[in-house]
Amino acid sequence: MKIERKIILLNAIYLVLIVIIGGSAIQSLNSVSSKQRFLEIADDLNTSFLEMRLSEKNYFLFNNITALYEIKTNISKANDVLDSVKDDIIPVIGESSYNELKRGLYNYNVAVTEAIDNGSWNGEIADNIRTKGHDLEDTSSRITKLEREHISNIIYRSKLLLFSSFFAVIVTALIVSRVVSRMVLKPIKYIELQARSIAAGDYSKIESPIRRDEFGVVIEAINTMSEELEQREEELIQSKKLASMGVLVAGVAHELNNPVNNISMIAQTYEEMYDKLTPTQRLEFMKKVDQESERIKQIVDNLLDFAKPREPRLSKVDINELLRKALLLVQNSLNVANIKSRVELAEGLPQLLLDENQMQQVLVNLFINAAQAMRPEGRLTVRTSLDSENGMVEIRITDTGKGIPSEYIPHIFDPFFSTKEEGGTGLGLSVSYSIIKSHGGNIKVDSRMGLGTTFTIQLPVNDEEKGRV
Amino acid sequence: MSHRIMIIDDEKIVGDMAKISLEEEGYEVETFLNAAPALKKLEEEPFDVVVTDLKMKNIDGLEVLRKVKKLHPSTKVIMITAFANLDVAIEAIKEDVFDFFPKPVRIKELKESIRKALIPDDQTKP
Ligand SMILES: Nc1ncnc2c1ncn2[C@@H]1O[C@H](COP(=O)(O)OP(=O)(O)OP(=O)(O)O)[C@@H](O)[C@H]1O
Ligand SMILES: [Mg+2]
Repeated sequence: MKIERKIILLNAIYLVLIVIIGGSAIQSLNSVSSKQRFLEIADDLNTSFLEMRLSEKNYFLFNNITALYEIKTNISKANDVLDSVKDDIIPVIGESSYNELKRGLYNYNVAVTEAIDNGSWNGEIADNIRTKGHDLEDTSSRITKLEREHISNIIYRSKLLLFSSFFAVIVTALIVSRVVSRMVLKPIKYIELQARSIAAGDYSKIESPIRRDEFGVVIEAINTMSEELEQREEELIQSKKLASMGVLVAGVAHELNNPVNNISMIAQTYEEMYDKLTPTQRLEFMKKVDQESERIKQIVDNLLDFAKPREPRLSKVDINELLRKALLLVQNSLNVANIKSRVELAEGLPQLLLDENQMQQVLVNLFINAAQAMRPEGRLTVRTSLDSENGMVEIRITDTGKGIPSEYIPHIFDPFFSTKEEGGTGLGLSVSYSIIKSHGGNIKVDSRMGLGTTFTIQLPVNDEEKGRV
Repeated sequence: MSHRIMIIDDEKIVGDMAKISLEEEGYEVETFLNAAPALKKLEEEPFDVVVTDLKMKNIDGLEVLRKVKKLHPSTKVIMITAFANLDVAIEAIKEDVFDFFPKPVRIKELKESIRKALIPDDQTKP
């Protein structure tokens, strides 16, 4: 169900609740006020009944016939009153009580009329008057009493109703706000987290049960967005790579030109001066030619590695083992530079599918860079750990070297970017970068001037599916 | 007294080879791998021709050209460069460079250029 509808439904329920409460409160008020109206009428009637009984007493005491007429007038007055308020009263006290009152009045009237017609005193008739008068008064006060009880009942019940509905409203309000925030805030929080991780470059999709509400739409939009971002990023990397190919080509041309020029000059000199050169000199010339050719070969090798990183030849590799091997390769250089190395390797890491040679090349590059950045007594630390949440194994290579100025950081992975006076081709990191990328991994750098640098490599843990391929 | 030639290039082989060929021609040749010591030397004594690489670490060949011209306006400067760049070439010509050689350098042509450079100004212009 759509959230909008859910909220509307909740609000509707809430509204109905309030209408019911309000309606019943109004109803109670109405019946209280109509009963109140009856009580006013009853007061009038009771007064006239009282007067009738007083006149009755006069009749008994003084045998005064005029008293009987007084009673009759009062009876007809009471009858008039009852007739005029009939419509108001019947709904309050019910038709039977009304008729009972009317009948009482009628009987009383009959008894009084009989006495008047009879003229002289008659004990039996007199008794009849007394009984009928008494009955009438009784009926009237009984009904009045009943109605008073009704009123207090209604008031009591209304109080109870209002009180309990007050609680019901509060409780419902609490529940509704809870439910709404569950329904709305929780998915929002989730989406917010996801947006953060997308911003941080993790383009994995939002995995959530298919929702039919607005959040389903938002989640779908975000998934599409992150897919597109990922694609854009790939395009960007591609175009960056093309751009760096330009840098690369220019750099290579320049790099290659020097050894080519050297060989050419040696050859020209060799040819021209052949007769004057001693055999040792000639040998030396040829050795130099060979060295310069080797220089060209290395540039070309690096270029090939960068421009067309050959498909990694994957095999299952224990990363800790590989790190130890790579460290052995540079151990001699570390010893010469008086740099201590330390390893903190996590136990029980999953085996990784790697091209052992390529990965070794990366590690050696990073170790050599670290060693070159440090002074004697420096320390090289190699750590491994498992990031099971992202399915990655992390390798951290930390040095206590001079650090990388922040303005250089964006360029260190560019081909031919080097700050080294001699012998730096500036290809080490760019080749390492493309190797790590072709393994589906990441390489990041974190550096503090004067304190040191940490390179972090993340490599994906391959599931069995990939392992079989 | 023989002519004095200075060669500045951070590629050692360039200086070595040029030196062998030029000494054979009877010139007095000094080679430098860095611009700084070369310029220092120039402050002490003049050279007839300075051959310098254009692109070196720390200092670029144009800077060397300017400094040489400032110290000894009559010294001829010949540039060699690993890559041809029109902007730089124009700049160098403005600064009165004598000749311009892309790598790989033909030693014979270099020798010819130096020979021309050594002819006094009032007799010829390149
Ligand atoms: N651990 C480090 N500490 C300080 N600076 C570093 C570190 N690693 C790399 N750099 C900087 O990044 C630059 C590029 O490194 P890269 O390995 O690509 O080339 P290089 O080391 O200069 O040359 P090559 O790898 O061919 O010897 C280096 O010149 C250096 O300035
Ligand atoms: Mg390096």
